[in-house]
Amino acid sequence: MKFTTKEIMSILPHKAPFLLVDKVIECEPGKYALGIKNVTIDEPFFQGHFPTEPILPGVLIVESIAQVTAVMYCAEFMESMKQDASANNLSEVDIAKKIAEHVGYLVEIKSMKFKKTVHPGDTLHIQVWKKTTFASLSLIEAKVVVDNEIVAEGKISVSEKN
Amino acid sequence: MNDIYKKAEEREKLCREIKSMMVEQLDIEMDPEFITNDQPIFGRGLELDSIDALELAVGIYDKFEISVTDDNTTIFSSVNTMADYIEVQKLENEG
Repeated sequence: MKFTTKEIMSILPHKAPFLLVDKVIECEPGKYALGIKNVTIDEPFFQGHFPTEPILPGVLIVESIAQVTAVMYCAEFMESMKQDASANNLSEVDIAKKIAEHVGYLVEIKSMKFKKTVHPGDTLHIQVWKKTTFASLSLIEAKVVVDNEIVAEGKISVSEKN
Repeated sequence: MNDIYKKAEEREKLCREIKSMMVEQLDIEMDPEFITNDQPIFGRGLELDSIDALELAVGIYDKFEISVTDDNTTIFSSVNTMADYIEVQKLENEG
């Protein structure tokens, strides 16, 4: 499964300037996803972080991991909607709205290492795997790669909104 | 009689393993020996919360190869309730 920017914008509640994933190029619904984010000097936070040395804030890398995770989750919900015959009558907008309702929250940053700084011009390859689910919480393992080098890796937990 | 002693010993060993898993998994700064088998894990007691329950589910899977699939948080009430669950699941897996 793949998602374009437009599709991601329709299924995630996040919007500019806080949509931190450009596209998802691989996705196994509910299990794994690989998202792409291109970092550009245009982004507003570079004005202050830092004026003479633009570095992508680590917390925003964590947010981009959470957003790719959200897409992975939505993909799972989309799959289950396909099986549900009653959803066939819904318009695309309604379906997107229903999916957006399922995007939960970040509940824990279990561990995160930032191994290299990220600069404008870099392309983040954000990989996320679901490790376990218990109740409405899931533990996610993530790795972020730029030019075949790991820039961040760690574990986060997210909640599902029912 | 020997059987009962053996069972009690096995149970105690399982409880010890659970406690060391908890301390390790949740980074609790505490000697596992200080956790008692019936001490409440959430709220008062060890003061853990539902987010920690997820970690315990991961720990049980990693250490005992048992997946906690149902969403029943009462499994994590105390060391004893976790031991009960693990024992039942082990039996089911064997059978």
